[in-house]
Amino acid sequence: MTIGSELRDTARRLLSEGTVELVIGWRRGSRPTAAVPAFVTDPEEAGSLVFDGTCGTNPAVYFTRDRRQYSGRKVGVAVKGCDARAVLQLVMENQVVRDDVVLIGVACPGVLDRRRVALAACGREILELEDRGAEVMLRGAGFETVVRREDVLSDSCRGCPHPDPGSVDLLLGTPRREAASGEERERRVREFEALPPAGRWEATLREYGKCIRCYACRNVCPACYCETCFVDQNDPRWIGGTCEPTDTLIFHLIRNLHVAGRCVECGACARACPTGVDLLLLHRKVAVEVLERFREEAGMDAGARPIMASFREDERQEFIMG
Amino acid sequence: MSTAVRLDATSLDRFLRVLADAREVFAPVAATDGRVEFARVRGGEGVDSSRMLTGLSPKGLFFPEAEVLFRYDRGGILPVESPGGPIAVWGMRGCDARGLALLDRVFGSAFQKPGDERFEDPYWKSRYDRATIFGTVCPAPLSTCFCNWFGGSPSSTAGIDVQATDLGEAWLLSPVTAKGAELLMTVDDLLSPATARDVEASREIALRAQSALPPPPSLEGLEDLLTGVFHEPAWEGIAAPCVQCGACTFSCPTCHCFDIQDEDRNGRGRRIRAWDSCMFGIFTREASGHNPRALSTQRVRQRVMHKYSYFPGNYGEMLCTGCGRCVSVCPVGFDIRNVLLELVSGAEGEGR
Repeated sequence: MTIGSELRDTARRLLSEGTVELVIGWRRGSRPTAAVPAFVTDPEEAGSLVFDGTCGTNPAVYFTRDRRQYSGRKVGVAVKGCDARAVLQLVMENQVVRDDVVLIGVACPGVLDRRRVALAACGREILELEDRGAEVMLRGAGFETVVRREDVLSDSCRGCPHPDPGSVDLLLGTPRREAASGEERERRVREFEALPPAGRWEATLREYGKCIRCYACRNVCPACYCETCFVDQNDPRWIGGTCEPTDTLIFHLIRNLHVAGRCVECGACARACPTGVDLLLLHRKVAVEVLERFREEAGMDAGARPIMASFREDERQEFIMG
Repeated sequence: MSTAVRLDATSLDRFLRVLADAREVFAPVAATDGRVEFARVRGGEGVDSSRMLTGLSPKGLFFPEAEVLFRYDRGGILPVESPGGPIAVWGMRGCDARGLALLDRVFGSAFQKPGDERFEDPYWKSRYDRATIFGTVCPAPLSTCFCNWFGGSPSSTAGIDVQATDLGEAWLLSPVTAKGAELLMTVDDLLSPATARDVEASREIALRAQSALPPPPSLEGLEDLLTGVFHEPAWEGIAAPCVQCGACTFSCPTCHCFDIQDEDRNGRGRRIRAWDSCMFGIFTREASGHNPRALSTQRVRQRVMHKYSYFPGNYGEMLCTGCGRCVSVCPVGFDIRNVLLELVSGAEGEGR
């Protein structure tokens, strides 16, 4: 039985029993390379739910995107490892009531990066994608090619330390991966850090120079839920309106620090970016820093205090004490 | 207009070099990460004319993400000098060229409503009016393409000065406007007369592309139909997945809403015009704090209404050329084609 069919059965059951009023998951959309969020309220429609490597959206985002929809309702939500952490982080931050949510964990094989998938098809349009596990089949007009999953995996999923959702109410599929060592996850951070300052600056300008300020990264991010984001204030105005580095960097760096200790590195921001900014690198850098300093990661324990909202006497304080 | 000419594929580099000697030339350029976007070129190096669509539409060439309208100090206004020379754009698809032609209705001189006092945007005009646009016939539409829903086609010539067809070993260049014909005259040493076979091959490519597009649905009366469904609860479900980012509107060849901001320091500063999006809450938030479109449902509806109801009412055409970028970039898979079909079939079901 595939995870997809288990998910459909589970959603159908939870809805018909009345355990939940709504199940958020994924369904096929217009594009074969990306499943789209699904909102199922009728058990009859549970059959549209799917799960595979194209389910890259983090459904946790919907809890804070439109609060009218979710407050006080029992909601079932299909979650990958990172998605579960995002929900738990929201619980920790008093944005979601844990008892109102049924976390339907899905053992995650890692999600695909649609840009890498497109590159693997050499620019030809992909009309059909079949996630076979270790391999991914791509088919279009006059071609069919099978690529290794590893080669088309999202950066966020390379070396993912928590692929299997924890603290969930139900777990579908067989947890199949050992937690990866931190090494692979940190590799690109270390490479970046090893660059001389001028090289880091150049790489930063190159990446963030692609930004068009559409805020797709912020808006798909479950951790970004300020009622009024600082970029949306105009009295006072904190940030200019251009795509010059002073403006784009202020947006990205502030967002980056604002989600420090809260970002679960799901990579939804990077996958959402229409111009392909490598957004994950800095989020990862901060997560690595947080882990080193506080020995904690976001969204691991809904009962804990948020990392940035707690203080221990034995924390490193060299920035004050010198 | 003068007749079609032939440019050997091997001469494209020379052709673009010669054009670039006397003007700014823009063309689709492939980056190492696989993206293809319009960028300034000096010749054929890096130019990728084969990609169906660039990631972003070419509107930014004429209506940049952000531009300085003028600078000022206590002495008064310091105008921004426009470079002023000619521009050529190579490799534009018909949907994008039509998009620019639609924007010219808003910013330029392309449309005069009876009785209206016409405002022409000098910033737009200073670029668009200087440009000669080479359109490229689409050989094979993508599954996200729907130009034929709104009167376009893979070989549409609206907004195009010279139409180019990729014949493999050569390009067939057909002048569409006098401006295009004149530009071709300046490079005629690189061109040879087109044969009847070239013209025939080009026609076949256009026909094949045309027939590859699924037939368009009947959208007759869409403008009024949308007015009729304004209050329908269906919008709630339609808007549910939308996360309110501007990926769709910013990659769209026709969305043109903007914000104006002054950046001031001690009486010196600059006035900026930057892309804005009806998907953003701040777009309509008033000084009092009241927001007439506070809900995502209202904003999604606005985007649809503006494109397919308000704009045709004001400017006589749909504000959509069916390029499909909004469908392919949306992080949550919002497909505006399905929205229109759902609203149309819903309205039909109720006998409207």
